[in-house]
Amino acid sequence: MQLPGPYVLCRIALLGAWVIVPAVFSACSAADATVDLPDRVDYNFHIRPILSNSCFVCHGPDSSTREADLRLDLRETATARREAGGRAIVPGRAGRSKVIRRVTAENADERMPPAETNHRLTAREIALISRWINQGAEYKPPWALIRPILASGKEGSIDHFVNEHLAANGIAAAPPAKKEALARRASFVLTGLPPSLPLLTGFVKDSSATAYEKLLDRLLTSPRFGERWSRHWMDLVRYAESKGHEFDFTIEGAWRYRDYLIRAFNADLPYDQFVIEHLAGDLLERPRLHPEEGYNESVIATSYLALGEGKHSPVDTRLDEADRIDNVIDVTSKTFQGLTVACARCHDHKFDPVPTSDYYALYGIFESMRFAYTPLLSSHQQAWLDSIRSARAMLRRSVGAKWKQSLGGGVAAAQTGLDSDKAAVVPVTHSASSVSRLGSLSRVDSTHNWRMIGDFRNGSYDGWIPHGPGFEPRSEQHFVVSSGGRIDSLAVGMASSRYLASGIPGALRSPTFTLDMDSIHVVAAGHGSVIRIIVDNFQLINPPIFQAIQEKVENSRLTTYRFGVNLWKGRKAYIELMVGSFKLQQHITDIHRILRDDSSYVEVAYALAFDGSAPELSGSPGTLNSTTQSIEQAVDAWVGGHASVPLLATINRALHSDVLPKLDIGPTLGLIKRHKAHIGDIPYIMAVTAGDAIESPIFIRGNHQTLGDQPIPHRFLSAVSDHAPPFSKSANGRLEMARAIVNPSNPLTARVMVNRLWHHVFGRGIVKTVDNFGAQGSLPTHPQLLDYLALRFVEQGWSIKAMLREMLLSETFRRSTQSSPQARERDPENLLLGHYPVRRLDAEAIRDAILAISGRLDTTMYGEAVPTHLTEFMNGPGRPEESGPLDGAGRRTVYLEVRRNFVSPMMLAFDRPIPFSTFGARNTTNVPAQSLTMLNDPFVAEQARVWADAVVTLHDLDIGGRIRYIYRKALSRSASPEDIADGLAFLETEARRRVLDSAAMLDDVDLWAAYCHVVFNHKEFLYLF
Amino acid sequence: MTRRDMLSLCRNGFGGIALMGLMGTAPFGRMLGQLSSSSDSGPLLPQVPHRVPKARSVIFLYMDGGVSQVDSFDPKPRLTREHGQDPHDKFTVDATQFDDVGTIMQSPWDFRRYGESGIEVSDLFPHVGACADDLAIVRSMVADFPEHTNANYFLHTGVGIQGRPSMGAWVTYGLGSENQNLPGYVVLDGGLIPSGGLDNFNSGFLPASYQASIFRTGDQPLANIAPLEDSTDIQQHKMSLMRRADERLLGRMGHVEEVESTIANYELAFRMQASVPELTDFAGETEATKRLYGMDSSDPHTRSYGAQCLLARRLVERGVRFIELTCPRVDTPRWDQHANLKEGHERNARAVDQPIAGLLRDLKARGLLEETLVIWAGEFGRTPFAQGVDGRDHNPSAFSIWLAGAGIRGGTVYGATDEYGYRAVESITTIHDLHATMLYLLGMDHNQLTFRFSGRDIRLTDVKGDVIEAILT
Repeated sequence: MQLPGPYVLCRIALLGAWVIVPAVFSACSAADATVDLPDRVDYNFHIRPILSNSCFVCHGPDSSTREADLRLDLRETATARREAGGRAIVPGRAGRSKVIRRVTAENADERMPPAETNHRLTAREIALISRWINQGAEYKPPWALIRPILASGKEGSIDHFVNEHLAANGIAAAPPAKKEALARRASFVLTGLPPSLPLLTGFVKDSSATAYEKLLDRLLTSPRFGERWSRHWMDLVRYAESKGHEFDFTIEGAWRYRDYLIRAFNADLPYDQFVIEHLAGDLLERPRLHPEEGYNESVIATSYLALGEGKHSPVDTRLDEADRIDNVIDVTSKTFQGLTVACARCHDHKFDPVPTSDYYALYGIFESMRFAYTPLLSSHQQAWLDSIRSARAMLRRSVGAKWKQSLGGGVAAAQTGLDSDKAAVVPVTHSASSVSRLGSLSRVDSTHNWRMIGDFRNGSYDGWIPHGPGFEPRSEQHFVVSSGGRIDSLAVGMASSRYLASGIPGALRSPTFTLDMDSIHVVAAGHGSVIRIIVDNFQLINPPIFQAIQEKVENSRLTTYRFGVNLWKGRKAYIELMVGSFKLQQHITDIHRILRDDSSYVEVAYALAFDGSAPELSGSPGTLNSTTQSIEQAVDAWVGGHASVPLLATINRALHSDVLPKLDIGPTLGLIKRHKAHIGDIPYIMAVTAGDAIESPIFIRGNHQTLGDQPIPHRFLSAVSDHAPPFSKSANGRLEMARAIVNPSNPLTARVMVNRLWHHVFGRGIVKTVDNFGAQGSLPTHPQLLDYLALRFVEQGWSIKAMLREMLLSETFRRSTQSSPQARERDPENLLLGHYPVRRLDAEAIRDAILAISGRLDTTMYGEAVPTHLTEFMNGPGRPEESGPLDGAGRRTVYLEVRRNFVSPMMLAFDRPIPFSTFGARNTTNVPAQSLTMLNDPFVAEQARVWADAVVTLHDLDIGGRIRYIYRKALSRSASPEDIADGLAFLETEARRRVLDSAAMLDDVDLWAAYCHVVFNHKEFLYLF
Repeated sequence: MTRRDMLSLCRNGFGGIALMGLMGTAPFGRMLGQLSSSSDSGPLLPQVPHRVPKARSVIFLYMDGGVSQVDSFDPKPRLTREHGQDPHDKFTVDATQFDDVGTIMQSPWDFRRYGESGIEVSDLFPHVGACADDLAIVRSMVADFPEHTNANYFLHTGVGIQGRPSMGAWVTYGLGSENQNLPGYVVLDGGLIPSGGLDNFNSGFLPASYQASIFRTGDQPLANIAPLEDSTDIQQHKMSLMRRADERLLGRMGHVEEVESTIANYELAFRMQASVPELTDFAGETEATKRLYGMDSSDPHTRSYGAQCLLARRLVERGVRFIELTCPRVDTPRWDQHANLKEGHERNARAVDQPIAGLLRDLKARGLLEETLVIWAGEFGRTPFAQGVDGRDHNPSAFSIWLAGAGIRGGTVYGATDEYGYRAVESITTIHDLHATMLYLLGMDHNQLTFRFSGRDIRLTDVKGDVIEAILT
């Protein structure tokens, strides 16, 4: 991005917009509007903000609200000849441009913007537009869509860019911060905790040149780093562990996503990989594995897609899905691209080049994904599964060999013409006739008005999608069924989750189809498993309406499960058979957690849809008669793993008539059982998996009941990936989308992320609106610096730690918070960073620091969340049965449960965002609830006491020594003589009130708790300097 | 006139605001996210409204679960005539939450005419009925959602999904509060937090300053309001140690606005510790007043709701801007009678009827009703046909609400439903219209009360809403 020299920002009152004025500070309210106008007016930095705020609603990209058929956001249309004569903009001739005439018109009817908006352009804005027109009215793409480039001839460093702006504005930088303050600042920024006393002392005493670098490296490699930066990220992806809405259902394994983040930040996972895993971690050929457990780490990132709000019983599932996908588009586009794409749901974006078709291209991508209870198998568990797999294979080979031996070549060809009753396929007991249609499967029967959705009797998955180890990648239905340790038959005629063994998690899902008939039959058997009809990707199936589309499978014989789907006719759906089930008879919040035991399994023969009465699948078992192959051939085919159903039936008949021996396989089965015992518990997460590629039409004005004509092909945002071809028709689109985001030519990704890091390091982004790099967002205060950082980020392999290290090593970061009167006058908001900003600690840092200081902090990492502490003010449906501990078991806040409907009041009071959308920058408010929390909340009081308990054991220290200790611990600095004198006076007065002599004073916990409590209430504790 | 001048005028009282309205001053109030997100000192200071306000405060009586319109404020004789018949023969039946559509069901209650206006109210609400001449009943309300939670978010925030700012947050954002020792937006938790939880009362993307403070009955009405220390002396002593340390900090740092406003905030919190107990102490109320509110009732729920209504009046007296009352926890699920309509609605009505009438009369007697807007509403209505045999399912296509007090034309009926009370057909009124009307009465233009979030200037009324002129004086 080519930009003229350093800039200074100036806020236009009321509109919250930013314009840039070059060099020497000028008052915004300059009496003469032409004073300090830039020599060269830049469209992006001077003109677009004015047009965007004042003109684009009616004369911008959105055609639905366009007035007078005039479009000012494109040069071509703005300079075109108007029907009524004249041109809105005549390049080089402001005086002849109608725009200037209209905005300066005396007559209110004539003047723009119209009178009813109560809005007029300022003299300065008009002067800027005039100069820009006179200079040729050069338009540019939005600044954020121009690829970053390194300003030519620039020395690359943060300080260079910052100091250049300071110098241009005649502001002297603040002196360096004191070492103690710097240690506290770096520690809170990198780890969210105050520095430990050894770290602080070590740094202060270390006079070597590399002391500060060593400090940073200690902090960057601390496990506390990942805990801190995960929480920042969780604000972006509206992290919560429950679905909110009416009953606040728990989201299965949501906390594992938090652990994923902590591991990723601690391991400095390259950001491009991090992005790819978020959008498509389930689709990677070679996913990353958890470093110790060995389970699929990458897939966990996709949980973020499933962490949104969830409606408990939507009457309109399609609207529910539209709202759900809208949230995913909103969160994804803001988080990774700093764009508010969700604005284009109902109309073209009013300010940014995001047409509605972009929105629905993304909509289709997210409509194509399915939410899935996803088991995480450790490498250890997978190894045991592999052992079972080989035992099964060996069993087949050895049984085959023995059978062939027993046949001895003397047995004649297949015993055709056997009584058809005896041909019953074990364990298919419901109907011999069902086998009849094999070979010539008609999928639709017009006379009976039914349609096959999935037929597994012929040995395939019939296009259904297996998931998890229970369902092997290829249908393996011909395994042995035993009775009393002897082979009884070969399983045939169904897809099964227990080819390896029962109790193995997995799911089988149909292709997406339209519900166009009244009922669905699924013929299945199993135990502790479930069949669900997933309509419009709706997961939270509950009574009262939705019980019709979920059935528990609890019968070892094939049983017909009937689903009445009348209510959802016309909707898209898929059928899901899943090992494991849901238990309604427990606390309401837990009914969507999946339960699976060692004997759970599910198998299915077929699924069909029909109107009226269920079809009779009639016909004779003719296909069986057509087999002319010998038993021996059948056995060979079985051993080779390619036996057709008729061949398997041949073997079963031979077993039945004792032509083949019912071999003793007890030892192998015992081996399998022992292997299985090693597998143990398998955790689940709620993640996503690929469904059929669905392309969505545009919803006219956002209404899901008024659809556009054409499905919109999957592709990425046109403004970013212009001219790129649409994504492959057959794929899910998410992986391609992820690649489009991390493509080095994407102008946004790196900029948005380094700006987020900068925001957390300096309290304000270079672009203040960290989630919005569009026209309605702020302009960068240091555009060249932003580009430098973005390029550097990619160059250093997208390393977040390297980028943070560079930021914290800068002089800019190491300055004190002292500002000179001159700096305050010229740059009252400290946009140019002449000094380090004073910031209030955020909610988590306050709580965590209190724990760290009191000594209660338990640094245990990872694991299930500590339940929310419930106060009597926290009520409503879905309230957990029991409250969690007041002190959160001493764990860091990142490990405390986040229940949407029961958010911690302390977190809420201190501005943790409500988890519904992306919040890259938190508010910093000042509400009485904050002061009341610090003054009276039992948690703060309890921690003051815990701390006091420790203080009274410091027998070596007198009162003054203890005060010094307390100051170092809480405020990371030495107490001043006044601090000590004040403390002494306080303690003595309180001791008198409590009638304590000077010896008893040292041991009185109440007394010291009162003092510690006051220190927690020092503003110096609550703020970062 | 500068903004500062206007604010000081405003602080000088209602008259000042009226004056500015008369002067035709340009719209002011909050607009376009002008509030700086950091260091907003005094976010609850009174703000200048857009126009002359009629109402100073709002009391929102939330009827949790959805009161049946055809059993309360919208009499439908045809239901009696066609009782027991199949609704499918009469009209198109929409999908319902329970998909358990029974036959047309007459109201178990009689309706009678009240007051000079002769408005018909059912025997569920004899006390409120007697106040009919003060009420403007809107019979043509529609909601966008048939599910409680979405409908609640919609009613409270103007958007059917979680996390948006509540109307109380919008109002305090727009107008601030007249009492700096109490929160500007108070929810009186009567025992039932609505479906959707506390997010019905949150500030969403507005700063946390505007979120509701939840008051409960009992010793500690507001979280952390009771001082930790056994005596005020000790707390004072601790505060003074803290103040000295803070002063030294400011001495070292120079001017730091953020820190200064936090210091001021502590002083406010300190004062609130005294003002809240004073607020909830009813010792100064006469027995006659308490009786008026039904606080002598034999029904414990009437007594407790009566106390909440009385507390609402006391909050209004103290200049609190927006007060919402949630329903008491009677022994039946909210107003949500999917079965046992008769018993359930009767219990709910008994708990609230007398207290609400008492509140209206008391406000009126004290001259407060003319500057207080009272809104009575649930999130949707109920079906005119049975769910099962004796319940009614959710119905977003028609319900009745009423408004009373500041700027409201009492004794009015607005809008109408079809002959079954199933769908609003005349002067169809939306939640956005209700919000626009409420803001209008508070002196704000709903088109101009905006906050920039996600690159948009967002309104409580989205891009919709019309003031319901016909019910205004």
